[in-house]
Amino acid sequence: MTFTIATTLEDALAAMAAGARPVAGGSDLVVAARHGKAALPASIVAIDRLGDLARVTGTDDGVRIGALATHATLMLHPLIVDSYPGLADACALVGSPATRNVGTLGGNVMNSSPAMDTGAPLLALGARVELRTVDSTRVVPLAELWTGPGRNVAATDELCTAILVPAPTAAGGTRSSSAYVRLEYRRAMEIAVVGAGASITLAADGTVESLAIALTAVAPTIISVTGLDAFVGKPLDAAALTAVGEIASEQSSPISDLRAGDSYRRHCVGVMARRAAEAAARRAAGEIIGIPVNRAFGIGAAR
Amino acid sequence: MTAATAPRFVRADGPDKVTGSGRYTADLTLTGMLAAKFRYAEIAHARIIRLDVSAARAMPGVFAVLTADDVPDVRFGPFVQDRTLFARDVVRYEGEVVAAVAAVNATVAQQAVDAIVVEYEPLPPITDLEAALAGDSLLVHEGWAAYGAGDPVVRDRNDASFSSITKGDVDAGFAEADHVVSSRYVADGCHAAPIEPRAVLAQWEGNKVTIWTSTQVPFDARAGVCETLEMPASRVRIIVPHLGGGFGGKCGFHYEAHIAALAKAAKRPVRLVFSRREEFFAPDRRREGMIIDVQTGVRSDGTITARKAWIAIDNGAYTTDAGFFSQLAAMHVSGPYKIPNVHIDSHLVYTNLQPSGSVRAPTAPQACWALESHTDEVAKAVGMDPVAFRKLNAVDTGDIGPSGQTYGEIGVQRCIDEATALVDYGQPLPDDEAIGVAIGWWPSFSVPSGAYLKIDGDGSAQIITGAQECGTGAVMTLRQLAADELGMNAEDFELVYQDTSVAPYDMGATGSQTLFNNGRAVVAAAGQVAEQLRSLAAEFLEAAPADIVLADGHAHVAGSPTSTVSIAELAGIAAGGELLIGHGSGAPPAAPALVGSSCVGDLGMAAFVAPQFSCHAVRVRLDRDTGVVRVMEVGTAHDSGTIINEMGALGQVEGGVMMGIGQALTEGAQYDAEGHQRNTGLLEYKLQTCADSPVIRTTFVQIVTPNAGPRGAKGLAEAPNVATAAAISNAIAKLVGQPVRQLPMTAERVWKAMQS
Repeated sequence: MTFTIATTLEDALAAMAAGARPVAGGSDLVVAARHGKAALPASIVAIDRLGDLARVTGTDDGVRIGALATHATLMLHPLIVDSYPGLADACALVGSPATRNVGTLGGNVMNSSPAMDTGAPLLALGARVELRTVDSTRVVPLAELWTGPGRNVAATDELCTAILVPAPTAAGGTRSSSAYVRLEYRRAMEIAVVGAGASITLAADGTVESLAIALTAVAPTIISVTGLDAFVGKPLDAAALTAVGEIASEQSSPISDLRAGDSYRRHCVGVMARRAAEAAARRAAGEIIGIPVNRAFGIGAAR
Repeated sequence: MTAATAPRFVRADGPDKVTGSGRYTADLTLTGMLAAKFRYAEIAHARIIRLDVSAARAMPGVFAVLTADDVPDVRFGPFVQDRTLFARDVVRYEGEVVAAVAAVNATVAQQAVDAIVVEYEPLPPITDLEAALAGDSLLVHEGWAAYGAGDPVVRDRNDASFSSITKGDVDAGFAEADHVVSSRYVADGCHAAPIEPRAVLAQWEGNKVTIWTSTQVPFDARAGVCETLEMPASRVRIIVPHLGGGFGGKCGFHYEAHIAALAKAAKRPVRLVFSRREEFFAPDRRREGMIIDVQTGVRSDGTITARKAWIAIDNGAYTTDAGFFSQLAAMHVSGPYKIPNVHIDSHLVYTNLQPSGSVRAPTAPQACWALESHTDEVAKAVGMDPVAFRKLNAVDTGDIGPSGQTYGEIGVQRCIDEATALVDYGQPLPDDEAIGVAIGWWPSFSVPSGAYLKIDGDGSAQIITGAQECGTGAVMTLRQLAADELGMNAEDFELVYQDTSVAPYDMGATGSQTLFNNGRAVVAAAGQVAEQLRSLAAEFLEAAPADIVLADGHAHVAGSPTSTVSIAELAGIAAGGELLIGHGSGAPPAAPALVGSSCVGDLGMAAFVAPQFSCHAVRVRLDRDTGVVRVMEVGTAHDSGTIINEMGALGQVEGGVMMGIGQALTEGAQYDAEGHQRNTGLLEYKLQTCADSPVIRTTFVQIVTPNAGPRGAKGLAEAPNVATAAAISNAIAKLVGQPVRQLPMTAERVWKAMQS
C-alpha cells in the first residue's frame, strides 16, 4: 500500500491520475475498512492539507464551498446559516462532534450514501459539484451525480474540489430559505432512517414561488420529490403541508431493515417532508429557527 | 442529596483513565506475542460432520490451532455443566467457539481461521420460547440428563431451570377480587455493551500461567481456567489491568482458558482482542429476553387479592450463571407488594441463541417493566391514581413480602414520596408529556470477601484487596472506609487490586457486592492496624490504648489534643519492630427467614438480604407524528441504606438511569429466523448518548440497615437499572392510551401502538 500526502492540488490530482484514492477526514474510508465493508485502496493520497479546498466563499451567484470544509465549520458558518440553513441543519446532525470535525462536505457528497444528511438539502438547493483532473474541470449537478448506493458519475481520477450552491432568487421582494429534518431515535451518532430537505421561495404576498424537496434514505440515492409545482402561487397552509407530506410519502419506496419497517418509513417520509417544508417556509417568512431544526421545534420530540 | 451538594470524590484510577496513561488489556504487549482468532460456529444449530484444521496448521506463521480434541474433556458451568471450551459434535449458537488459532499477527490468524474446514448437518434452530417449552420440541441438549448440575435444578426437556413461588390460595384470592386484569409483555434480549471489547493475554513460565484479562470477576475466571485445564489455583494468576466497563457482560469465565491453552501449545504469549461484532454476538453473556404473563385480582378499594404469573426466560444455548434467573424473575414479577395469594411459575428456556447471563440486575428491568406497566393497568381498572395505588399496596416496615419475608425498616414508601416530589408529580403538563412512576427492588448479595491493609515505614498505606473495579467506583471508595477507621485521608491509601495472586478472594464486580462485602473486609483489616497504632501511640504518649483517638493523620489522647503523635511517626517506629499489617474478612450477613410460602427450584433468591428499594418517576415527551419518545426529566429515590460515597452513588444512579433509558427505548438484540443476530454494531444497536441524557435528580432515603454492609450500607450498582424502563413505559402508556407491550419500546412500536 502507498500513502502520500499532497501539499498542492496539482500533486493530489497527479496522484489520482496514477490511481490513488483521496482521503480527507477518513470518516467513511477508514470506518468502512475497519468494519470490513471495503478494503482500504492500495494507493491513497491525503488531501487534508490543501487549505485552499477548505474555504467557503460567497460568489456572484451563490456560495462556493471547498470540498474540505468540515461539517463543524459549515454548521456555524454565517454565510451558510443565514442563506442556506438547510445545509447547516444537516451538518449539525452528522455523527458526533468528532465526526463533524473531521468529516468534510466533499467526502460526504462523494461517498454517495443514500443516507447522507447533507445530500437532501444540497439537492433541494440545486447544488452542483466541481470535479477536477490534472487537465480538466467540469461541473455536475447533484441531480446527475449519484447513480446508486456508494456510486457516482465521477471518474476515478476526478477529485471533487468544491460544492457550488446557487443563491436563492431575491427578485421582487421574494424571500427564500431552506431546512433539513430527519427521523432520529437518539440525538448523536445517529444515521438517517428517513430525512427530508426543503428549499422554498415565497413571493411578496407569502404564496409559494418555488418549492423543492429531497428525501434521504428512501431510495438507492437521495431523490427529489416531483410534482411540487402544484403548490406554486398558493399559500403553504396546513392543508398544503399535509398534501406535501402525502406526495413525498407516495413517491418514496422505502425498504424494511433493522432501522425501520417499510410502512413506518413511508409514514415518516411524509412527516419529515411536511416538517422540512414548514420549517423552510417559516424561516423564509422571517422566523428564526435555530440550527438544527430537529432541536429547535417539536421535531423528534425535542422542543 | 443532589449532585450540586455532593462532596468531592477523586477516584484513584481517574487521572490514569482520563489522561490515557492507564493501560487496558489490549494495550499490553509481550515479547514474541502472537494474535488469537476464533473460528465461530456461525450457524445456530448444527451437527459437526467434519472438522479439519490441517490446512490451517500448515500455514506459515501459524503456531497453534486448537479444537475440542486438544484440551481436557471437561464440561463446566456454575448451575448446569452443559459447556465445553470448544464445540463437541453439536454447535448450539452462532457464537460458539469451534476452534482457536494463534499466529504471528491477526491477519494471518484470520486467514488460518478461514482455512479451517467445518462441515455441518444443519439442525432446526430453536428460537421461540413457547415452542421450545412444548412437549414436541427438539431438545437443545439431547443428552443433558447426563450432565452434572446443582441439586435444585429441575431438568425437564428444554426447561433449564424451573422455579415457582406459592403463597396462600391463589384461586380463592381471585374469587375475592372485583376486577381481574391480565397482561402479556414481551422483552427482547439486549446487551451490556461495554465500551472496551474484551481482551485476554496469556503467558506461561514453566508450569504456571499468568493471564491478563478484561474480566469483572478475576477469581471466577481463575476457577474456570483451573476447572477446564485441570490445574490447581496456585499455578494460575489472573491480573486485570484497567477495565473498560463491564455492566455484567464481563462477569463469568469466558475465554481465559482458550488463550492459556493456545499460549501453552504455541510456547509463546498469546493475546486475544475482540472486535465490536465479537463483543456483541460471541460471549455467553447477554441480557435475557422474556415473556411475562401476569394476572392480578384487585378489590374495588384498590387492595390486591391475588397474583398469578407465567414467565419464560430465554436462557440461550448454555446455562451460565442464569440458573437463578427463573427465581429472580419470579420475585420481580411478584414485586415489593403485599399480596396474600401468589402463584408464579418461571421457566428458564434453552434456545439456540446466545447464552444469557448476569447483565446489571439480571431479569429485573424486564420483569419490573412488565409488572409495573401491569400495575398501572390494574390501577386504571379500579380508577385509582397509579401512585396512590402503589402507596396502598407496596410493602412497608413490618410487612410480609410475596415470598414470606418480613421486612425490617425499609424505605419504599418514602422512595415513592421523594421520587414523585422530585418531578412535581401531578403538575399540569402539555398534552405531549406525561410522568410515569415505577417502584423496584433488588437484593444485596452476602458473600465472603477479604483484604489486607498495611502502612509502610514512611507512613504511606496500601489496601491490598481481591475486589475488582469495573468503573462503579466501589473499589475507589474502599479508601474512604479505611481512612475513616484510621483517622487518615482517603488519598493516603494506594490500592493494590485486581490480581488473584496477591490478594484474598473476592467475588468480583458482580451482584452489587463490592462495598457491601469487601468494605466489611477492609474495615476489619483497618481495625487491626488501628489497634496496632493505638498500642504504639499509648506507649509513645504514656496513655492507655483505649484512650487513644486516631484523627487527622495523628494519634492523640482523648481529651488532650496536644498530647499527639503523627501516624507517620508511629509507622516509622513500627518499621523497626512489629510491622503494621492488618487482614480482614468478617462474617457475611445471614439470609432472613421466610414464612408461609414455598418455592420449587429455590436457589436462595426468595429471601432478599438487606433489600434495596427504589422509585423512579420519569417525565417523557412523545412526538405523536413519529412515536419518538424523549426522556426529559427523571426523579429517583433509592433506599440503599447508608450512603458512604455520595458522589459515587449519584454516578451509579445516573448511569443506571441511562442504561435503563436505552433498554426502554432503543436497545434490543434483533435476530433473523435462523438465529443470527443482525445488529452487532454500535450503529444498529443503539446505546443512549450524552446528548440524550435528561435531567436526573436523586434523593437517597438513608436508613441505617442492620444485618447489612459497612455502616448499614446496602448495594447500589444494579438497583438504579431496575425501575427506569418501567417508569418510562407508564408515561408512554398515559400518552398513547395503552402500554407498548414489547421492549424496547422503539419509536416504530410506539407509533404502531398509536395506530391500534
